[in-house]
Amino acid sequence: MKVVLYAVKSGASQRALLSIALEVDKVFWSGKADRMIRLSELLPLGIAEEACNRLTEQWSKENEEKGGREARQDWMEDVKRVVRLLVGEGKEPACPTLWVEEVAIGSECSYDGDEEYLADRATHRHHEESLVKAARLAGILLAGRSLLREEAVQLLGDVMLAEHSADYLAALQFAALTGALQLTAAVAPKPSAPPLHGFRALAERLRPAQLLGLAAAPRRPDNLALYCRRCGSGHDKMRRTPCAACGQACAYCEACLTMGRSRQCGLLVIGVPQTGATSFFTNSQTLISTLAPSHAQTPSPTLVPAHASALSPAHTPGHAPTSSPTHAPAPTPENLSERWGLSPAQCQATITALQYLNNPHRNTSKPSKHSSTFLLWAVTGAGKTEMIFPLLEAVLTRGGRALLATPRRDVVLELAPRLAKALPNYSRTVLYGGSTDRWENGALTLATTHQLLRFQEAFDLVLIDELDAFPYHNDPMLHYAANKCRKKSGFTVLLSATPPLQLQRAVARRRLPCARVPVRYHRHPLPVPQRLAFPALNQWLRKQKLPNKLLKPLQRSIKRGAQVFLFVPYVRQVEPLVKLLRRYASILNIAPHAIDGTSSKDAERNDKVTFFRDHSLSLLVTTTILERGVTIPKSDVFILDAGNPLFDAASLVQMAGRAGRSSADPFGLVYFGAPVWTTSQRSSIQQIRSMNSLAKQQGYLQ
Amino acid sequence: MPLNISSWFSPTTKACPICGRAGAPAASPIAIPIRHPEPRKILSSLCAPCRKAIPWISNPVCRICGRAERCEDCTRRQQRNYTVSRCAVRYDYLMKDWLALYKYRGNEGLESILAAMLAFAYERLCEYSPQSHSFAAITSVPLAPERLQDRGFNQAERLALQLSRWYGLSYRPMLLRLRHTEKQSLKTRRSRVVDMRGNFSAVSSELFSHSSTLPLSPAAPTAASTTPRIILVDDIYTTGSTLEECARVLRQSAIPEALPEIYGLLWARS
Repeated sequence: MKVVLYAVKSGASQRALLSIALEVDKVFWSGKADRMIRLSELLPLGIAEEACNRLTEQWSKENEEKGGREARQDWMEDVKRVVRLLVGEGKEPACPTLWVEEVAIGSECSYDGDEEYLADRATHRHHEESLVKAARLAGILLAGRSLLREEAVQLLGDVMLAEHSADYLAALQFAALTGALQLTAAVAPKPSAPPLHGFRALAERLRPAQLLGLAAAPRRPDNLALYCRRCGSGHDKMRRTPCAACGQACAYCEACLTMGRSRQCGLLVIGVPQTGATSFFTNSQTLISTLAPSHAQTPSPTLVPAHASALSPAHTPGHAPTSSPTHAPAPTPENLSERWGLSPAQCQATITALQYLNNPHRNTSKPSKHSSTFLLWAVTGAGKTEMIFPLLEAVLTRGGRALLATPRRDVVLELAPRLAKALPNYSRTVLYGGSTDRWENGALTLATTHQLLRFQEAFDLVLIDELDAFPYHNDPMLHYAANKCRKKSGFTVLLSATPPLQLQRAVARRRLPCARVPVRYHRHPLPVPQRLAFPALNQWLRKQKLPNKLLKPLQRSIKRGAQVFLFVPYVRQVEPLVKLLRRYASILNIAPHAIDGTSSKDAERNDKVTFFRDHSLSLLVTTTILERGVTIPKSDVFILDAGNPLFDAASLVQMAGRAGRSSADPFGLVYFGAPVWTTSQRSSIQQIRSMNSLAKQQGYLQ
Repeated sequence: MPLNISSWFSPTTKACPICGRAGAPAASPIAIPIRHPEPRKILSSLCAPCRKAIPWISNPVCRICGRAERCEDCTRRQQRNYTVSRCAVRYDYLMKDWLALYKYRGNEGLESILAAMLAFAYERLCEYSPQSHSFAAITSVPLAPERLQDRGFNQAERLALQLSRWYGLSYRPMLLRLRHTEKQSLKTRRSRVVDMRGNFSAVSSELFSHSSTLPLSPAAPTAASTTPRIILVDDIYTTGSTLEECARVLRQSAIPEALPEIYGLLWARS
């Protein structure tokens, strides 16, 4: 979109701003500024923002030098020069003519004191009041979010009532002027990196160009270094296309395209109060204090009759904390296990985590990039979900907002009723692609990971479940989103059974505080995988013959009445293996239709998993798609071709974790079947063993 | 992390621009039915399953609109302003997804792929009238200004531009959209035809006048070249009402001595 670039002057100081609805700015600055000029042409948002920044920087510098005494006379020239520079950068012929014009401040009604004028003034005042109300409401509703223009307008349209002026852009602009919101370009030049430390700084200083005095320019040309303000992707994810909305070749971000297109001329509304917004004109501060969504102030009921629940929790009467956090009873193992039914190991870890939340910087030796992050490392089947509840409650009782992010939609849907049951007194928002409460601001938000992109500095506690699972794994965008949606004073708690190596290392070096739950809730050790050496799967699939070394343990498992998971590396192996196993059905002593297979490409996957759960299937061939989240009370696990590079140590541990999950059958069997013995197999067994010995040491085992 | 030295020597596999999977270049090369090397190159960047799934219309049953099955619309229609049209693919669910990715999601990385697919239709059109290797110009169905602002690009224009670059055609914007209509896909057949009336106008009649130096006007009016051929590009052909209306407007605004023949070129036929 295109916006107006304008500047205001009050006394000695001047400031450049941009507007998406200039009428609002005229009203806002009346009485606060002496003069106002605007650029006649509309500018693409990205360029206007950059121009604003440069002008503000330049003017504030000059102001300092002159001690704020004399105002600049040639500010119009400044505006023209900066814009010409910016517009000319991209193209060969620089912008031909630019016109700067003076704008009359205030709403335009210049009648003399007749009745018409008075009536006009009354409607104007009414208009202004409704604008102020709408802006305040917009500030409250959008707090903690980062939305594209279409999304913000949709939110306001859904939640606001019709009387609060249909002009949402005006409301947004007014809220931005008061400092409650930030209106920025969604894709913008990356802010310059912080100064380097240590070895890297030394290396930079010893660069030959530096030594020869040739290194005036930074290493990478600046115009390349665009980044997406919403998802944090760098310039390698940007694609520059000619854009009809701004008439320039403007870049858009390919990484977060599924969540709406964020582009250089696209507006991003960030619900975070601006820093330094109040420093310019002191007399606007009174206005800010009345407009900004302060927590002390409850919005009047006439403003938001039907949507009280959509506001942030502090405003909603039902959530007022009954006791201040200092008076909250200290968690003890007894009351935790009583209230939530936790096992001793779970209690211990939960208490460590709660202590961290109350008093963060005690256990780490030095601050690092993990400074406000806590890792909850719980083995498969330890009962992670139950341990989440006390953490959430601790934050919610203080009146904070909490977020639980899970990788998959079905997990969200499964967890929502459990959370509703465990924490019934707090408003909940469930977010996933296509969910209905998209714009609610619940105290407790349950979301799929991609939804985190739509938040910024919104939550006091961010819980990330299964952080090593599919969407997070190797996706910097989601890590950025998870960091971004946490308040500056907030915490992140990571939950995992198999944290990635990098985090394990950080824990070992005491850079990352961590609590381990080394034992399952039934207090039996994890089953340790056994090795079966037989030829590669493809080889005996071709021969249509099951190796005896596989057949015997399979028979044993079925004989003891266990259901069997057979994991294979590739989707294309599932179908042939099912066929082969069905031929062996009589030898295995099960019905052929009790053998089936599933994969990510299987449309009936959910049905088959249900059949497996209710025992109508007794043998399921699957790929890694079922490595998490499926609990079968009595089951054995066979991993075929366990040496395949597709199975890393983490996924081997996860697959092994499907066995022996219930207290009725805690000693399930796990087999690694492979012709070779690989590092990942070895390290997965080592991980399982170390957790078992830790459990034994701490006396958690029965 | 284990050093995977063998990967240093293996060919680099790029992610498929549509499905995003790191598809190895197809083991059994799936034929790309296009002659021009550049669209071929673009299509060969797709992974094998995606490439296989493209429902090309290689043998149009309807000789007029290029549909892959018998077409009642064309037999029913009394009067037609365009000569023939050719479509690259059938508009099945997969193609619907692809177009939605490009058009509504705004994934402009797909642009060159869709354009390469349109090249197939262009080559079929050339086969249909082999004597006319001289299309005077290529143009596209315009978007309403508001829609263009929202979307940021006109898909038909982009495809036409790309095509004109490959085949050395001259692209000219010839039409304007006057009204902002509802989405075509939400309407019935009857109301589509009625609504379409008066939606378009020609950019300027100068394009077709004697005085202009464009190849459209017969500079040396020999018998063979009196009818300039114009290609009109759009993304989907459903009832043909858009194409028909555009063709009507174009022919109306032309001078009678050089009444152009309008050839439709469409990416998909539903």
